[in-house]
Amino acid sequence: MDGPKEPTFPLLSSPDFVPEKYVRDISQNYVGGLELQLLKKKIQTLSDETNNNLKRNVYQNYVQFIEAAKEISHLEGEMYQLSHLLSEQRSLLTSLMNSSILEDQTHIKVHKHEKMDEQDVEEENKLKLATILEKVEGCKDIVEVEGRTFIHEGDLLEIDATENMALKFVHVYLFSDSLMITNRNSNPRSLTRFTYESIYELSSLAVVNVRDMGNIKHAFKLLIFPDTRVFQCSSNASKKEWLDKIDQAKKSKLASEQPKRESLLVEKTSPARMTFIESSHEEEPVIKIIINHPEWFLDIPDELDVCIAQRQFEEAVNYLNKAQMYINKTTDHQQIDMALTEIREKVEQKRNSLIEMLMKELEVNPEKSLQGGLRATRTAVRLLNQLGRSTQACDLFLKLCSNILKLQCKRVKREGSTTIYVRHLSSVVFTNMCSMSDEFLRAFPDSTDCASAYVVWASGELSLFTTHFAKQVFMPQTSLSTITECVELVRIQCEKLYSYGIDFRYQLDGTLRASLNKALSDAKDKLIDSIKLRVSEDKWIPINLKTKSALARCLQEYAQMGLKLDIYVTGDVWLQLTPSNLAFTKAFLILLEDCLKLKTTELLYTIDDTLCKVFEAQIRCYEHALRNESQHEQRQFIVKNIEFLLMVLYEFAQKKYRENSGYECEQLNKTATEFLGLLKGRGTKTKYSSEFL
Amino acid sequence: MSKKPTVQPALHKVIMVGSGGVGKSALTLQFMYDEFVEDYEPTKADSYRKKILLDGEEVQIDILDTAGQEDYAAIRDNYFRSGEGFLCIFSITEDESFQATQEFREQILRVKNDDNIPFLLVGNKCDLEEKRKVTFQEAQDRANKWGVPYVETSAKTREHVDKVFFDLMREIRARKKDENKTNNGRGKDKNKKKKLKCTIL
Repeated sequence: MDGPKEPTFPLLSSPDFVPEKYVRDISQNYVGGLELQLLKKKIQTLSDETNNNLKRNVYQNYVQFIEAAKEISHLEGEMYQLSHLLSEQRSLLTSLMNSSILEDQTHIKVHKHEKMDEQDVEEENKLKLATILEKVEGCKDIVEVEGRTFIHEGDLLEIDATENMALKFVHVYLFSDSLMITNRNSNPRSLTRFTYESIYELSSLAVVNVRDMGNIKHAFKLLIFPDTRVFQCSSNASKKEWLDKIDQAKKSKLASEQPKRESLLVEKTSPARMTFIESSHEEEPVIKIIINHPEWFLDIPDELDVCIAQRQFEEAVNYLNKAQMYINKTTDHQQIDMALTEIREKVEQKRNSLIEMLMKELEVNPEKSLQGGLRATRTAVRLLNQLGRSTQACDLFLKLCSNILKLQCKRVKREGSTTIYVRHLSSVVFTNMCSMSDEFLRAFPDSTDCASAYVVWASGELSLFTTHFAKQVFMPQTSLSTITECVELVRIQCEKLYSYGIDFRYQLDGTLRASLNKALSDAKDKLIDSIKLRVSEDKWIPINLKTKSALARCLQEYAQMGLKLDIYVTGDVWLQLTPSNLAFTKAFLILLEDCLKLKTTELLYTIDDTLCKVFEAQIRCYEHALRNESQHEQRQFIVKNIEFLLMVLYEFAQKKYRENSGYECEQLNKTATEFLGLLKGRGTKTKYSSEFL
Repeated sequence: MSKKPTVQPALHKVIMVGSGGVGKSALTLQFMYDEFVEDYEPTKADSYRKKILLDGEEVQIDILDTAGQEDYAAIRDNYFRSGEGFLCIFSITEDESFQATQEFREQILRVKNDDNIPFLLVGNKCDLEEKRKVTFQEAQDRANKWGVPYVETSAKTREHVDKVFFDLMREIRARKKDENKTNNGRGKDKNKKKKLKCTIL
């Protein structure tokens, strides 16, 4: 049949299939709706089938697409890992190279292109360090160290090593040779995020992995004697990264140090070879000189660090001296190389920090107990002397002394009488000053500068003490006797310092003079007032002591002061003196005693004046009484009393005065002579009265 | 220094020293977790902490398992400084490790500056009797010379593992008590002679 073909897939999908022509053919050949409908059905199923096919195809493609995508992402991850590994490798290599190149330039030959690379890395490192510098406050000196490269950083949580409690957040930087800990900046307005806290050398930093226990997880420990610090990381991976990086840094540092050590070994084993090296250098002056320093010398900065940290200051000073000697010796031979300069700088740095530590030891600190006293300072002072810092040491030492003295004085409580207080206080002050002098002489034996500083200090302390003393003692209600006693006590204490060649008597007397003058004149006024009062109350009759024992007691009292009154006794209980006279005698003798004790050349005038004025006041009162008295018997009695004053008491007083100072009191003599006329009158009057009787 | 037994149990710091591969970590792990690890991986430095009952008293033990190989002397010193007692371990199958104990002992004494520091000489791997290179007598002699106890252990069979740790802790505890006593004694002295103050730096 040449009619239109059955609609099939190949037909419909053939390239020369024309739908219009096909439809025309069909309409020519098929007659009737039924046939057409059948054909339509056929085409319909065909279309459905195609549709299904298409769907299946799309799905299949889709699955393939997803698979491909998966593969690609996987690949991407791998690529990323690879690049990460590569960059890590690169940084490790460069850090290795960097450290070795910067520290041992002479040991490794550097090719040109490597140099280029190194420059790039260095550039990068500089950039990184600059950002650290911006972020961290107070790390300028740390970051700008030659050869220090940045390796790793991160946030860690510091934990109390014993209590397992979180302490604070820290930000930690790992450099090629050290680990820097920084704190979060507490000042929110500050430009920097962190503040520098501390830095640890990797070559002495013990890093310990902490096995998870309880609530402490992902932690590691740093042992830096005497501290133990525990840091917690956010995850185990982060901890591993830290530990690995620290380990790697340590290893590369060690690797860079290895050649140095090896060369040292060479030096030790074959001196011949060393001379060879040196001679070859002489031939080629362009090359830098290498001197192989002994190992102990290279280790000195580290040893110093350890000693300072362990507070073995003595050892540190030994090391310093050793290093200095070595440096001097080598410098004398004009052999200065990089290592030497570097170590010299480091040693200098350590010396300064050691001095700082020692000074801190001596510094007065309210939190530090002064329990050890001055003995505790001996080592520090001696070492500072050795380090040539006597002046500062002396200064601090004396400050400490002042402090100790102040503290000791504060401990003396004001209890009981002034005398007891003064005795206690002055003893504390001067005993301490003595022991301080001892310590001082021991600490600074040959330094004249220090000795004069000490004298100035001691003088200052004495002024402080006398001011305090004056405040406590010279009060209106204090009696002259008490004052005298106190002054005497202090003078005796002051003499303790004589044995150290320090005599502060003059200064002491000088500062007390004004107060003493005033005290003396006060005492004088008081006595004169009481004389007037007593005389006005006197009835001018002998004293009746009522009982024999009372009389005996009275006599004994005066005998103790050195005055014998036996001749004035009449009868069993009578004393032929007026009560006012007896009281005056006692007061005058006490005054005399005090005056003689207080006597210094400068006070002489006041003392004489006081004695005379008081003496005169008494006699004047009696003279006055004599003039006013009309009763004969009383007159006689008054004259007898005046006689007692002018002869007995006067003589006795002069004798005492002479005993004390080697000569008599002229002024008193004058005063007494002035009144001798009264006795002459008495003589006539006696005659007259005896005639009368 | 007053301890607070009610707040925190006393903490005894033990340090494991010895050459690489003698079984420091194995002993530690056996003591801590009752397990024996066969495969060997060099330790860097691990620290463990555990609460235990020591003669009825609750205490904390802090074990620092050090690296047998540490290149920096200063770091090694820092390990030793942090310890209150030491287990010096060697392997009875390796004479070299036994010889190394001499050096460890000297280093510890130098760093701690104390001849009576709690210290045990431990010969590990005593289950490998057939491979023994160091005789018991030899080790015992050295321990006698140092005035320290000698114990042979096996991390594998757990023989004497607890004993070495507990013995060491007892020594540490006794040592601390002694120190407290002498400190108190000194305190009394101080009161008696006020002028002769002692300086504790």
